[in-house]
Amino acid sequence: MIERFILDKNDLSYWLRQIRKNASLIAPVKSLVGDVVFESLEQIHEISLDHPLPPPSVKEFLFPQIETMFEYNGDEIKEIIDEEMRVVVGLRSCDASAIKIIDRFFAGETGSDYDMVHPNRKYKDPYYFSRRQNTVFISMGCNVPGAVCFCYNLGAGPFLDSGFDIQLIDLEDRYLVEADSEKGKGLVRRYDYLFRKVETGDLEDRFEALLSSISKFEKRIDLRETGQKIKNSMPDSFWQWVAERCFECGGCVYVCSLCTCFNIVDYNFSNQSGKRCRIWDTCLFKGFTEMAGRVIPQEKKEQRLKRWWFHKILYYPEQFKTFGCVGCGRCTITCPGHIDIATLSEKIMGWR
Amino acid sequence: MVAMHIIDALQRGAILIVADPRKTMLAGLAHIHLQHRCGTDVVLLNSIMNVIINEGLVNIDFVKMRTERFDEFEKVIREYTPQMAEAITGVPEEEIRRAARIYASENRTMLFYGMGITQHTTGVDNVHACANLVMLTAHVGHTATGLNPLRGHNNVQGACDMGALPDFLTGYQPVSDPDIRQRFERVWAVRLNPVPGLTLTEMISASLTKRIRAMYIMGENPVLSDPHTDHTIRSLKALDFLVVQDIFMTETTQLADVVLPGVSFAEKDGTFTNTERRVQKIRRAAIEPVGEALPDWQIISELSTRMGYSMNYRGTYEIMEEIALLTPIYRGIRHHRLEHNFGIQWPCPDTSHPGTAYLHRKRFSKGMGTFIPTPYIPPAEVPDSEFPFVLTTGRNYFQFHIGTMSRKTITLEREDPECFVEVNPEDARSLGIRNREKIRVITRRGSIDVIAKVTDRIIPGTIYIPFHFHEAPANRLTNPALDEIARIPEFKVCAARIERL
Repeated sequence: MIERFILDKNDLSYWLRQIRKNASLIAPVKSLVGDVVFESLEQIHEISLDHPLPPPSVKEFLFPQIETMFEYNGDEIKEIIDEEMRVVVGLRSCDASAIKIIDRFFAGETGSDYDMVHPNRKYKDPYYFSRRQNTVFISMGCNVPGAVCFCYNLGAGPFLDSGFDIQLIDLEDRYLVEADSEKGKGLVRRYDYLFRKVETGDLEDRFEALLSSISKFEKRIDLRETGQKIKNSMPDSFWQWVAERCFECGGCVYVCSLCTCFNIVDYNFSNQSGKRCRIWDTCLFKGFTEMAGRVIPQEKKEQRLKRWWFHKILYYPEQFKTFGCVGCGRCTITCPGHIDIATLSEKIMGWR
Repeated sequence: MVAMHIIDALQRGAILIVADPRKTMLAGLAHIHLQHRCGTDVVLLNSIMNVIINEGLVNIDFVKMRTERFDEFEKVIREYTPQMAEAITGVPEEEIRRAARIYASENRTMLFYGMGITQHTTGVDNVHACANLVMLTAHVGHTATGLNPLRGHNNVQGACDMGALPDFLTGYQPVSDPDIRQRFERVWAVRLNPVPGLTLTEMISASLTKRIRAMYIMGENPVLSDPHTDHTIRSLKALDFLVVQDIFMTETTQLADVVLPGVSFAEKDGTFTNTERRVQKIRRAAIEPVGEALPDWQIISELSTRMGYSMNYRGTYEIMEEIALLTPIYRGIRHHRLEHNFGIQWPCPDTSHPGTAYLHRKRFSKGMGTFIPTPYIPPAEVPDSEFPFVLTTGRNYFQFHIGTMSRKTITLEREDPECFVEVNPEDARSLGIRNREKIRVITRRGSIDVIAKVTDRIIPGTIYIPFHFHEAPANRLTNPALDEIARIPEFKVCAARIERL
């Protein structure tokens, strides 16, 4: 059951300051040259909630780009589990929706028939979940979606109905604070003197804000139709066309809030000691499926691109009953070849 | 990411013409791909200008007002008909005509070139030919025009600006000019040598004759990056004393008497200057120097102080002040002016000047632009019966330069672990070479064994090897023949033979 409160905008910084006493506070901060990135918030006033989505997604706070799993020295093995308390403020609805989905991935619970078919696959990733349990996400509803956003078409925004820790909705002079998870509710209750009860007018304002936000989306992307079309009628020449534009930089995967491919690597300090790490990887790279003798099953770039697309748009719905995309538009910002999900989806619908 | 902006422009309807012996990614997207033979750049450019002149596409006003010696130049160009160019370059006549018409008749055209133009014995001619083309069509001096060299590293421009050249002090002020020398001598309180020094390639050879006896190499691995590896190693070994400063141990540090640990970009502060002359501040050192490493300026100051000339800078901003004092083009650039913007483009004559976006707007720096005729001179080494292939070298998508940094990354190492030689399917068939077979590539200087990659990215008769890999150093094969003026070696063309093992 969602609990709703009202927070005066002037009290936000006080609330964050209290939160920071017990946890490290992460928020979007605008750098000197204007890039907005999530980083540890040193000065509360530097928080930048009105800017578009920061290009790097928040997944790195649950699943870092590179993390040490264990260190060993002789027979002694020391597992490294990150238990730092974190509160991430200012992520958007799309990010919060993405976290819901990667939670299921790292828990081995897809929520579909796959769980029954593969009952022993229920492996709960300890590295991910120790971070997940110690992190509270305070997401923002979007009153003004960006030019690249299409979360509305995927049910991942602009506001969320459930499945978040805390959601803030900007009602001009005040925030509507919605707490769904127990962790989220705790963070509100502990400072209950800051909040007041919700009145009918507040909920009416929320509805108004939602309607106005939905009307502002510039992109209309229907991945169901795209999926049907790539399943049935996209010729090889189309994938060839896509491959010509792919630089294999992996940018789309690294910024994607849902992509979770990783590689495991060992670093040896000596014969006796070393560490094992996992680092982000991407299925768009040739070496991702490399086997002995340098055999690469899907060596051609168009095959790899097709695999990524099929995974996102056809296999994800089969496995997780949702698309492998939340419509955040980060790949649109990042891709140098203009073959991101939104642009290509439009291209596919127009391809004959 | 210049290519990214080029693709953006394509997306908005720009026309792209690529001239490259290899079918690169960008060439795949181009409207016209002129796949000429290596080392025939001058012929291709001359024949394009021939078409422009013959078809009346010259910007006559610009040529009259801003340039000189057009008539001499025209005489030479008249000889380079597209038919003749087709025979030499292998590019169909009609393609040359189409490219020339598009280039000349568009209102705004940008010309970019990379190392493929400069790394030849005729490198200077190639650049002259590009400049002639730009002047002929007046595509210079305003937005989205001009001649844009793409440098191989992020701060090549900055290094040249700072006088890391044998014949110039900072800001391209010649060492031979007594007035300029005097100014530096007064500020630095030392006597300066008026004789220009040696270029990199000359220095390497000079150690064999004991003309050079000690060398200090910073952040470079000439054993892999200079042509004719065996010669380079022999020369470096002949030195009495070699100091190398780098962030990782390399093939060159193995020959050094002293290795000084430098820092990577993440541990530095200061400025980088990019190809559009934009001086950009590195925000702040992201991490502390690792281990005993020190920023380069601290190492140099310390060395200088111990060698008897005291250098006491409190920070990089003090060095920038000294640069501004002595360098007219950097006169108005200070660190604090670079904090809140994307940098300033020199020339910047005073501290309130916003920088200069386009050079040559009203006049060229020397006054009138001179047309310099560029007759075709073949590469120093052309294929013959013994070495029938043209070997060209270059970079791969995944690696950077000689891999001192990028070969240390686990994902890149997995993606791109080994050297290869690109061979056209036609040549592969006639020699009986299969894809991924190990073959031997031999030139007059040496041989390496590499995996064959049979691909139509490369034209028949030409083979291509990336130079990132120390296991199969492509520069063991390349020709150390130099351009007479710029002293740049001919990395891009030499004659080679391939053998099955």
